[in-house]
Amino acid sequence: MTSHALVVRGLVKKFGNHVAVDDISFEVPRGVVYGILGPNGAGKSTTLRMINDIFAPDAGEIVVLDGFRPGSEAAARIGYLPEERGLYPKMKVGDMVEFIAELRGLGRSEARRRTAVWLERLGLTQWTKNKVQDLSKGMQQKVQFATALIHEPELVILDEPWSGLDPINAEVLRDAVDEIRASGRTVLFSTHQMEQAEKLVDHVCIIARGKKLLDGKLKDIQRREAAEGLVSLGFSDAAARATAEVVLGDRSLVSGSRPPTAGRDDGATDREVKLADGATAQRLLAALVTAGVQLRRFEVVVPSLHQIFVDRVGSSAAVAERRPEAS
Amino acid sequence: MSDLRDTMVIARREFTERVQSRWFIAITLLGPIGMVALVIIPSLLIGNPAGSKIEIIDRTCPAGAPCPALHDRKGVLAAPLSEALAAAQWKPAIIAADTPDQIEMDRIRDKQINGFVTIPEDALGGGHIVYRGDNGSSQVVHATLRGITTRIVQTERGRRAQISPDQLEAIIQPIEVESQQTNGKTEAASGQASFFLGYALAYILFLVITVYAVAVMRSVVQEKTSRVMELMVATVKPRSLMAGKIVGVGGAGLIQVAVWLTIGALTLAYRAQLLGMFGISGGGPDLPSLTVGVVVVALAFFVLGYFFYASMYAAVGAMVSSEQDTQQVQMPIMILLIIGIVSVTAVSGDPRGFTSAVVTTVPFWSALLMPMRFLLGGATTVDVVVSLAVLAVSTAGVAWAAAKIYRVGVLMYGKRPDPRELLRWLRY
Repeated sequence: MTSHALVVRGLVKKFGNHVAVDDISFEVPRGVVYGILGPNGAGKSTTLRMINDIFAPDAGEIVVLDGFRPGSEAAARIGYLPEERGLYPKMKVGDMVEFIAELRGLGRSEARRRTAVWLERLGLTQWTKNKVQDLSKGMQQKVQFATALIHEPELVILDEPWSGLDPINAEVLRDAVDEIRASGRTVLFSTHQMEQAEKLVDHVCIIARGKKLLDGKLKDIQRREAAEGLVSLGFSDAAARATAEVVLGDRSLVSGSRPPTAGRDDGATDREVKLADGATAQRLLAALVTAGVQLRRFEVVVPSLHQIFVDRVGSSAAVAERRPEAS
Repeated sequence: MSDLRDTMVIARREFTERVQSRWFIAITLLGPIGMVALVIIPSLLIGNPAGSKIEIIDRTCPAGAPCPALHDRKGVLAAPLSEALAAAQWKPAIIAADTPDQIEMDRIRDKQINGFVTIPEDALGGGHIVYRGDNGSSQVVHATLRGITTRIVQTERGRRAQISPDQLEAIIQPIEVESQQTNGKTEAASGQASFFLGYALAYILFLVITVYAVAVMRSVVQEKTSRVMELMVATVKPRSLMAGKIVGVGGAGLIQVAVWLTIGALTLAYRAQLLGMFGISGGGPDLPSLTVGVVVVALAFFVLGYFFYASMYAAVGAMVSSEQDTQQVQMPIMILLIIGIVSVTAVSGDPRGFTSAVVTTVPFWSALLMPMRFLLGGATTVDVVVSLAVLAVSTAGVAWAAAKIYRVGVLMYGKRPDPRELLRWLRY
């Protein structure tokens, strides 16, 4: 029995007639980086808000760290970077971080000690006595980040962590996430930026229009999608491609073919083919060799997270419906 | 337990942020200076007429003889008037009865004299005695002249009616009529002065309750506009957030009121010495003292009244998304407060009456008016306790409803809820 940083079962949240979160369930094992992916308006933030006890779910249950309901006991063990970034503009940077640390359950002197450590780490020590409003946007982001991590929470929840970050700070963020994972703690974040997510996540849950589309280990998902069969072929020349058409036309072997998606080589000599049900890459290769096709490249494509996302979510759902305001 | 701890941490933040602000320190300290000034300045304004240089033109005629022409005339009042004024440290001089006013006016303009008294021929028969001078607006100058002249005219009249000075003294002995404010138990104080103090108390409570309750609302709105709200409600219960805010802001207000009342009470208690420092003797206007009982009652009503209104204002803050929006939504509360302050007259006019009893028991106004009614002796201790109890229960109810609205409202941006929606929030 593995222990979980978070278990969500049958979560439902409605705003008026709009169903923002529709029966979502997922499990986040401890010590992983877990990404909730989805287009804008998919229900990511609403889900994270329910975990943080900002909204009460209409149905379903949430268990934090094997035994806590969302609320003050869980809050001491959760760090949260909200989608709505915001600090007290007139508070001094040091006081602000210390204040949140105390509210997250640290004693006053401990809060003060750790604040110094964290501001040092984020390169903000010289700004400790400055007001938050005097800092640049980027530095305010760092302070916000410090408020999420100061109490060394077992579960760190980051809502759209990359929004508004410059590439350098994005790097700082990724390093921090790696570090949390290395220390055995758990990170749960939401994003619609697949490139950023792919570099970090162990597990994903893709949701759209409030519904879960798939979840699991990224590696497993990629293997499964790969097994479902996308093969990238590079022919030695156009003649070889013409020869291959017979094999590629075999519906028991190949269900469809198209020029490569990404602009790798040119469309004249390259093809991406989807295997038919029951067919394997091995059989396709054998058929091609038997037919005497000159191959430059034969690659079973491991789909990128972006590809999986686009395939699953589709263009129809990518356009978000009216974004519901909290009510 | 942790809720209470959160509340205190939040209260401390709100409290320090306010108490450290320059404005708070300035107003807390300047307020009492204003109060002290209120006692001293009137006494200073009165001024000291000692040393005034004045001249006397006396046109009255001697008794029983034909009246000489103006340029030979020597009035009967000038000599005793001059004598009496000299005794009061003035510098009087008697000049010719035919001196034209213009000469004297010029002398005033050239600062050779402060002023001159003109006693007309019919002064003994009721003619107006006129003083013109650069200190003519001074109440003390007027009072001194009036007192001395009256006595001199009366003496001369008595002499002509052949009444001996002793008989005259007996006749004109003043008859004093005094009205005192009392509830039959406490020692009576000057009625007028009590009213003054009662008004001051009601207005201070109105001012401080309004200022600090509105500060709570602004603080809520600022949390929304700076978007720090989401971080806060993820970290603590909205209930703790609201409670902490009200306690913290109120703590700052309580300190201010306590400082003011203490300094006010000390100023009144030691006003003779205080005025003495400014060279004014006699203790100035007659004011009653602020008793410990009144201060305690005022503070108790301040605390509850503040919680009552601050909860309402916190809910208003939660309902709107920008400071501009607060204008309309806070209107009903503002009207309630204004009704309270307008009712001050009703309570001061008849502290023991039915209207007073009603407005000092209804929770909307009791905090503003009961301390005043108590001060004026219109309320018994039982009345005060009942009123406090009503206010406490209502405050609990208002706080409960406000917490509900707050809970739902804090993350609302955009449109304002209509009353039907608010009712739904209460059942949430």
